[in-house]
Amino acid sequence: MYGIVWLNSGRPSMVNKIKQGVSFKGTSFSDFIAGLIYVLIAASVILFILWPTIAILVKSVYYGGNFTFGQYIQLFTENRQLLLNSILVSASSTVLAVTLGLFVALFITHSGNRGKKTVFAVLLLTMISPPFVSALSYIMLFGRRGIITYYLLGLSINPYGWHGVVLMQTLSHASLAALIILGVLRGIDKSLEQASLDLGAGSLSTLLKITIPLAKPGIIAAVLISFIQSLADFGTPIIIGGNFTVLATEAYLNVIGLYNLPRAAAMGTLLMIPALLMFVIYRRVVENSEYFSLRVGSDSSLALSRWINHVLALVTWSFILFQLLQYATILWGAFAKTWGVDFTFSMKHIQALGIGQLLAFARSLEYALIAALAGSLIGMIIAYMVERKKFPGYRILDFLATLPYMIPGPFLGIAYVLAFHDKPLILTGTVFIVIVNCIYRQLPISTKAGTAVLTQLNPETEYGARDLGADEISTFKDVILPSLKPAFLIGFINTFTTTMTTIGAIIFLVVPGSEVATVQMFNAIKTGQIGVSAVIANMIIIVTLAVNLAFSYFILRPQRYKDSEKMEGTYVSAIEGIR
Amino acid sequence: MKKKLLALLMIVVFGFSFAGCAGSADTATEDPAPVEESIIDLTGTTLKVFVAYGGIDEIFQAFEADTGVKVEYLDMSSGEVLARIRAEQGNPLGDIWFGGGVDSFIAAQNDGLLESYVSPEAEHVPAKYLDPDGYWTGVSLVTVSFIVNTDRCEEIGIETPQTWQDLLQPELKGEILMSNPSISGTSYTILSGILQSMGEEEGWAYIDQLNQQIPYYAKRGSEPPQKAALGEVTVGLAPDTGESLKAEGYPIVSIFPQDGTPWWPSPVAILKGAENLEGAKAFVDWCLSEKGQEILRDNCPRVPVREGIEPPECLAAIKEAKLQDIDFVVAGNVRDSVVEQWQTKYGE
Repeated sequence: MYGIVWLNSGRPSMVNKIKQGVSFKGTSFSDFIAGLIYVLIAASVILFILWPTIAILVKSVYYGGNFTFGQYIQLFTENRQLLLNSILVSASSTVLAVTLGLFVALFITHSGNRGKKTVFAVLLLTMISPPFVSALSYIMLFGRRGIITYYLLGLSINPYGWHGVVLMQTLSHASLAALIILGVLRGIDKSLEQASLDLGAGSLSTLLKITIPLAKPGIIAAVLISFIQSLADFGTPIIIGGNFTVLATEAYLNVIGLYNLPRAAAMGTLLMIPALLMFVIYRRVVENSEYFSLRVGSDSSLALSRWINHVLALVTWSFILFQLLQYATILWGAFAKTWGVDFTFSMKHIQALGIGQLLAFARSLEYALIAALAGSLIGMIIAYMVERKKFPGYRILDFLATLPYMIPGPFLGIAYVLAFHDKPLILTGTVFIVIVNCIYRQLPISTKAGTAVLTQLNPETEYGARDLGADEISTFKDVILPSLKPAFLIGFINTFTTTMTTIGAIIFLVVPGSEVATVQMFNAIKTGQIGVSAVIANMIIIVTLAVNLAFSYFILRPQRYKDSEKMEGTYVSAIEGIR
Repeated sequence: MKKKLLALLMIVVFGFSFAGCAGSADTATEDPAPVEESIIDLTGTTLKVFVAYGGIDEIFQAFEADTGVKVEYLDMSSGEVLARIRAEQGNPLGDIWFGGGVDSFIAAQNDGLLESYVSPEAEHVPAKYLDPDGYWTGVSLVTVSFIVNTDRCEEIGIETPQTWQDLLQPELKGEILMSNPSISGTSYTILSGILQSMGEEEGWAYIDQLNQQIPYYAKRGSEPPQKAALGEVTVGLAPDTGESLKAEGYPIVSIFPQDGTPWWPSPVAILKGAENLEGAKAFVDWCLSEKGQEILRDNCPRVPVREGIEPPECLAAIKEAKLQDIDFVVAGNVRDSVVEQWQTKYGE
């Protein structure tokens, strides 16, 4: 039986036929439950992603009681420059962020350098970027009067413009890119690298010709996420763009400033064209990827040559230093008498914190925990459905699960109001809809991270499990989920962190009386209480980091292998469990 | 492993059901009090407020102590409130909209999203501070000032600018920040104030010159005063005197432009479809009452609208300042065309 599975690798239908012969009676009920879960999840994606999207797109053609394509006529010619700006910025920051992320990920998995755990922890830290406060610290460090640019280097450069946008987006997307690539690099079959070395290739050419191509599923996922995230990012250009605007910003201003939702919705549609193109490229790469890694976790690690080690270390530590500077600034801001001017120690900002702010903080924490657990689990199941089950229409499901990132945050919030404020489904005003919004908004990350790991993993293990009589649910739980641990972790960290820090969508969904921490922070900034906003930002950063680190430890803690940096041990135990 | 997964699922399911309960409890509201009685006991009712106003915790505490109405609020910018109540289509999840740019209130009024209410207290308020039909009522005056970084002034060697003409001096090129009028109520008020007080032709000529001095237009209202405080620019045009920035210790002063200070009434309005309509009316009355006006003034430094209530100390200079003569209904009605004109001249 075992041998047959080997021979028929990659042909699930055949395996299933064989499996049916040996299955026990109990499995059919379990498979029914599994099927039910798939249907429910697909239905929820349609309900919470497709339906609101349609609701807002309808606004672009049906308004004032008339059906019209008025917003689309001339849309392209009028906004060509803005669209070009968007694509230019997204492409540049994607290339830079993914390259940087790859370097950092390689540093952690492949280099012989010290401090890998520190780098990993800083990566988790830099995932947390409280809006506006991060911008303030950036300006304080690199602004016209910045500590580094002006006081240290004596420069009087203008940080506002497209270069500032690219720099800030690169820095904020590099951490996520590194984590996604890391998840895949950890699963690479190291015996392939060893074979390359044995055949006489150098460590550089092994890295370029074996390791990086093997990490392709992770790299392309990072490229997709980073690109569409930049496209839909309206906040960074607002803060640091100066005269430079992109389509997402203009669309946002059309809603909030010019009160023109139809036009904004049409602009949002225009924004989806490049996002869709990137998605098609992504799918092609994923579909053409071959499964390479079955026996993972071989002990021998690729020994890189000294200068490659040095380059990786230099890039990684510069990135870490740059990031830590920013967080040190924010920390300092909470205790400094006057942010950016008077650095003497003061407790006045902490004392100014009110009970309302603490309640809002607790509320944020609750929402974020629920959203992160539910969101990453749903994401893993969708990744499994898309990558392994391949039901009819699985590409559509994958696309729908990517859609929320193509839509700028506030639009998704308004879309939810349009979709769930009226019969037949009235959900606005409930906490449920706020959390659902956080879950589905972040679904792209967990599904893409999950797909990247699954693409790399040879499905023969699962067929083997099925073949030996495991039902659908046990296969997912005992074989798939353990391999998906790194992806599950990324999904959790990302959803938790963004729910703790974003403001864009949920401002339209929370009801008066249930304010969340970021709204408080933003309000403190608006009214000029920069110190108080720094205190709230620090609370968010510290608690989010603590939860992320604790969860990482819980997920990645070594089960059989003592060396905590060899987390791939989990894969081995999964395979051994089957035998 | 099985147990862990089960536990995880339990957490999720439990979380959802808990969230569901919390949600339904949030939305439950009291029965509306009978309208025919002249004195209505509002104690124990809840008022839900979208707010863009300073010192709100203290203000709402005082209101609750006076009326027994519990206030739940959410901080939102006027543009966000407008986008939200439009999407909610006359069935808002709030009762009151408090503070913000008067132009968004007028836009909401034109869309039929506001409830008309003329407070009995309104007779003590000059007519130019409120809507004649009672769709919105000004509670305080927002006054535009120059937030000037004195350290920067010294560095570039100029006196603190006092007038709109002072802003045109060559040393200030690239040193003045204001928000984009298409998204900022403050900047639109500056624009219409200049156009209405100088006249169309002279007004646009001045705006042309001012535009030369401005490196870029900020896209958030709070950005110009903050950048001035941090020394990124010398002058930021702001809808307040930057009292909290001064309290933080930044080297700034605030100047009311002597040749005409733009201003607008910061409104309160009842949302159409408000669940607690009587509580909402009580809030409007309270804001305009003598006591309410004093509490508003003491917690958010703005000029009270009610006759006989002194402005806060930090705004004492407003008595000498010359407020521009602005017609808000006109300004509200020409907003689209003025902003479009501005966009074609100075937008991207």
